[in-house]
Amino acid sequence: MNEQRRQILEMLAEGKITADEAERLIDALEREQPEPPPGAALRPKARPKYLRVLVEDNSGGEAASRVNVRVPLQLLRAGVRLTSLVPPQALTKLNAELDKSGVPIDLTQLKPQQLEELIEHLDELTVDVDDADSKVQVFCE
Amino acid sequence: MIPQLVTVRYRRLNGRRLWLPVPVLPVLLVLSPLLVLAVLGGLVACLVTGVDPVGALRGAGRLLWALPGARFEIQDGRTAVLVSVR
Repeated sequence: MNEQRRQILEMLAEGKITADEAERLIDALEREQPEPPPGAALRPKARPKYLRVLVEDNSGGEAASRVNVRVPLQLLRAGVRLTSLVPPQALTKLNAELDKSGVPIDLTQLKPQQLEELIEHLDELTVDVDDADSKVQVFCE
Repeated sequence: MIPQLVTVRYRRLNGRRLWLPVPVLPVLLVLSPLLVLAVLGGLVACLVTGVDPVGALRGAGRLLWALPGARFEIQDGRTAVLVSVR
């Protein structure tokens, strides 16, 4: 219930206006605030399908470099699902090598569901880095 | 849907351009004997490394199915490469 409607009902309850007057005021309020078109509120926002990576580097003068990558999110999901196929002994070896390199990450703790959740939430990801000579943009579309 | 057309565009330093559309299905058909060998080799590799062969095949299929729409464009000065999958 919005504030104006509440005020009208309070005035009616206090006896400041009659029921007819309250009805007319509420009708007038409804005319001022037309209903949204049917389905407008129910229509879900279109889900992004692609991950875009745009990199521009103009530091080389005329020889500018540009990278424009468009990856379907479905491809990322399919790739993430492949990680569940990595055998445990390979993960143990990877963990040992990562540990040796100073990156103590336990890959066995990383579950495919968590990776899928990460991909699911990529929709909301936007990275925008602006430099004098270069620009990096990562977003979903 | 599996990819139908892979387009490769290449621009060389001297300005010459190369445009190579690759129709995937006909190429796969032509290369099918090699493909069968590759799949067999992959299955053997899966068995040796302890990877589930069915899961690997399913994963590879999913990757293939998800490829359409991918586009990679890299430009460095006057040289440029574009790979587009449709």
